[in-house]
Amino acid sequence: GAMRSRAEVDATLQTAKLNPEELLPVVQCLSFGPQTGPAECCLLQLEPGLCAELEAGRSLVIRGEKDEQVVLCSKDKTYEMKIADTSNMLLFIPGCKTPEELNADQASCNIIHSEIAGFSNNYWELRRCRPKLKKLRKLLMEDPYEGPDSQKNKTSTFSKYTTEDLLSLVQASEEEILHHLQAIDACKIEGYWRIIEFDYQMKLLNHVTQLIDSESWSLSQVPLRTCLEELGPLEPKEMIEHILLSYGRKYLDDAGEVYFEMREDKVCRALGQMLLQNAVKFNLSDFQEVWQQSVPEGMTTRLDQLKGLALVDKSSRPETIFLLKVEDLPEGNQERFNSLFSIREKWTEVDITPYIEDLCAEKQTVGALLTKYARSSMQNGVKVYNSRRQIS
Amino acid sequence: EAVSLPHSRGAAGLAQWVLVELQGEVEPRQSGRLAGSLLGDLHYTREGVPVLIVGHHILYGKVVQLEKPFAVLVKQGAPQPGSAEPETRYAVTALIKTKLLFKTRPKPIVTNVPKKV
Repeated sequence: GAMRSRAEVDATLQTAKLNPEELLPVVQCLSFGPQTGPAECCLLQLEPGLCAELEAGRSLVIRGEKDEQVVLCSKDKTYEMKIADTSNMLLFIPGCKTPEELNADQASCNIIHSEIAGFSNNYWELRRCRPKLKKLRKLLMEDPYEGPDSQKNKTSTFSKYTTEDLLSLVQASEEEILHHLQAIDACKIEGYWRIIEFDYQMKLLNHVTQLIDSESWSLSQVPLRTCLEELGPLEPKEMIEHILLSYGRKYLDDAGEVYFEMREDKVCRALGQMLLQNAVKFNLSDFQEVWQQSVPEGMTTRLDQLKGLALVDKSSRPETIFLLKVEDLPEGNQERFNSLFSIREKWTEVDITPYIEDLCAEKQTVGALLTKYARSSMQNGVKVYNSRRQIS
Repeated sequence: EAVSLPHSRGAAGLAQWVLVELQGEVEPRQSGRLAGSLLGDLHYTREGVPVLIVGHHILYGKVVQLEKPFAVLVKQGAPQPGSAEPETRYAVTALIKTKLLFKTRPKPIVTNVPKKV
């Protein structure tokens, strides 16, 4: 039909017994546009910071396979998405003006026709969550890099993943993904992200530590150039440099030469893992002796270097130690706690912390997690935690 | 699958829309198409109070600055030819930082608009 006229608007005001003098001179006639339908548009409620990101020109991405619950990712954060229903009707109107805008507008018109673009009685709500990174490791572990001599390089039909592939498959923001790739010492080989197979890592590390020993270098002054020269004939140079980057801290000397300060904790931890993965469990004191002997001279082993990697059983006689990697445990909170309590009935806070601290949400503490998922009691004067439920 | 939400850059950046929140449902006075039908006249008092005349009702509301703004997502595009599943694409079309919140009287609002689809 024809558009509403100012005369019609004034007639309505009169019928409504409203005094035009008390109103701003401009009326906005709202009508449903020709394309209006609830399925076309939807509303997304923005958490702090996301509005600014959109205004700065950055995109948000919704990620999720069919069997996954969708998440929304900004450039550095991940959010769970949930529909929130309201009993109210929400209309979104592009051209609608606020009183301030009408007052500021110098135009002399007294009627504006605005179309309602869409309407809804629900919207998407966001809740910040941990990035779902377990899948990232799982994807890269499908085909770990075993070195240039590996037969797999020639015959491998496994999937390899570029950054873009990972971005589309992993429910996390780009920054969280790149940060995790660095944390697991992944590297790019021929454009694909690869995890270096552990045994090959140890082979590379062994070359380096033997060279350090034969050259009598200080552990904090390992020259890149010489490593590449001496070890280049044995292994690809990119791999030698990668192992130094993974297990050392890079710096430049005054002449601009690249050196590495070997990271004692990380080297000892890796060598501990190498020993532990060859047995179901070890006699603790035997292990400690062999472990100390296996690390480079000048490095000292400590049990706390194995946090989240191995567990000491103080109740057995003699005391034993066995491999338990946090990255092998379930990602969900309840599943993680179920798994831990099925491995051991009662845990001290010190023992369980390395196996749950990655579950903490923003501003959440380990204590809060324990309060929620465990029950505490005293055992021999020590506070211990056990499951809230029966574990079958 | 990853669905990207790029925003459409107008000359002045992302568009700013306004939300109008009405209590209850919107009912048609007579059945008809939603498209093109009038909702009502929106006035403001000189003090800035929004007044919406819908059918035979006068609704008084208030202007609210949203603590959490909304992004308006618009579904777009047709399925890619040759793809096994239709890919859903959304674009951020606008931001909403302001809403006009209206409260009804006990009687339902009656307009020319069909009952909610």
